[in-house]
Amino acid sequence: MSVLDPIYAVAKENLQKVAFPEATNEKMMQAAYETGKEGYIIPVLVGDTAQNKALAAERGYDESVFTFVDIHDEEYKSKVIAAYVAKPGTMLKEKAMSRRMENPLYFAMAMQAVGEADVTFAGIDNTTGDVLLAGQMIIGLKPGITTVSSIGLADIPGFQGSEGTLLAVGDSAVCTNPNAEQLASIAISACDTVKELLDWEPRCAMVCYSTLGSGQGELIDKVKEALRIANEKRPDLAIDGEFQLDAAIVPAVAAKKVNRESKVAGKANVLIWPDLNVGNVAVKLIQQFGHADAYGPMLQGFNSIVCDCSRGAPVSEIKGNIVMSAVRAARSKK
Amino acid sequence: MDRAELEKKLIECVAIAYSKDAASLTLDTSFKNDLGGASVQMVGLVSQLENELDVFIQLADAAACETIKDLVDKVEAEL
Repeated sequence: MSVLDPIYAVAKENLQKVAFPEATNEKMMQAAYETGKEGYIIPVLVGDTAQNKALAAERGYDESVFTFVDIHDEEYKSKVIAAYVAKPGTMLKEKAMSRRMENPLYFAMAMQAVGEADVTFAGIDNTTGDVLLAGQMIIGLKPGITTVSSIGLADIPGFQGSEGTLLAVGDSAVCTNPNAEQLASIAISACDTVKELLDWEPRCAMVCYSTLGSGQGELIDKVKEALRIANEKRPDLAIDGEFQLDAAIVPAVAAKKVNRESKVAGKANVLIWPDLNVGNVAVKLIQQFGHADAYGPMLQGFNSIVCDCSRGAPVSEIKGNIVMSAVRAARSKK
Repeated sequence: MDRAELEKKLIECVAIAYSKDAASLTLDTSFKNDLGGASVQMVGLVSQLENELDVFIQLADAAACETIKDLVDKVEAEL
């Protein structure tokens, strides 16, 4: 059974509207079509509807699977803009918003911001920077969160962790050198993400080269401060540290090195790296030596779900990311 | 809009985006050293510029500005 099977089952029971602003892209339209046809999502193609319909026909797709939204439909656009600018705390005013919405990426996110879509799925034609900028500008960050970040899911053969072979790790892709406040945001967002996606009770370890003061220095100080901020902001979450990686995930090591009560030590299911250098190297190690399958990275920290897929991603990977995004959206509403 | 008005407007925009008192900001205020330089606030600033001045500054260009004066120069060139 695949790791994704239970997630696919949840998606079928909670159909979400996923907006695709890059549907002209062949791989993106195929992934949107197949996930829609197979009953995992409601695919909403945002763009020039005449062009999208022509391409769908040319590619042999049943048009009825899609919902089409035309960015040239001025009446609908005005309705979305009016709803957007009426929301508290939005960044753009009417004129600037109208101009931005000439771009389907911004149009899709505006729809999402006002509840006309549940997820925006992009990144195959737009760069990650484009998606992050649009997300921060239109969707915005969750209250108390100071940075966008990402989390990945590793399925590591032979690993016997607290969630079997699965381990969530972050941030390995977005926030390069987080300060303490941003690192706290990454940990908080990661806990919310695994809860939404996997229905786990998150046990989140802030890892570095020290366990409870065994090492000292400014690199450790940052992690300790981040932990303090995270615990202060979200006392409801089990976030603990600072731990070395083995103290975080190996019960015997935790028993030796962590001489106090901890809901996390030895049984962490979420690891938070201190920066992107560690994150990138660690993920490569897990993949190369642990022969892990990696899922994601999934963006987190936004007010609602935005997904940036890799530009080189095959259709199968895009489909998996679409369904995971939809499940996060569905569960985040509960 | 003359240079003095533009400088005043830019300082207002920066104050809103970074939640600072405009009186505490000058043209020499450094985004990185004095304001912390978080990208989400820079996104807010770029949005403010679009809203208030109808000028479209790329995030990367705004983020490359060391001080508010540098940003004023950039916006002035765009107007």
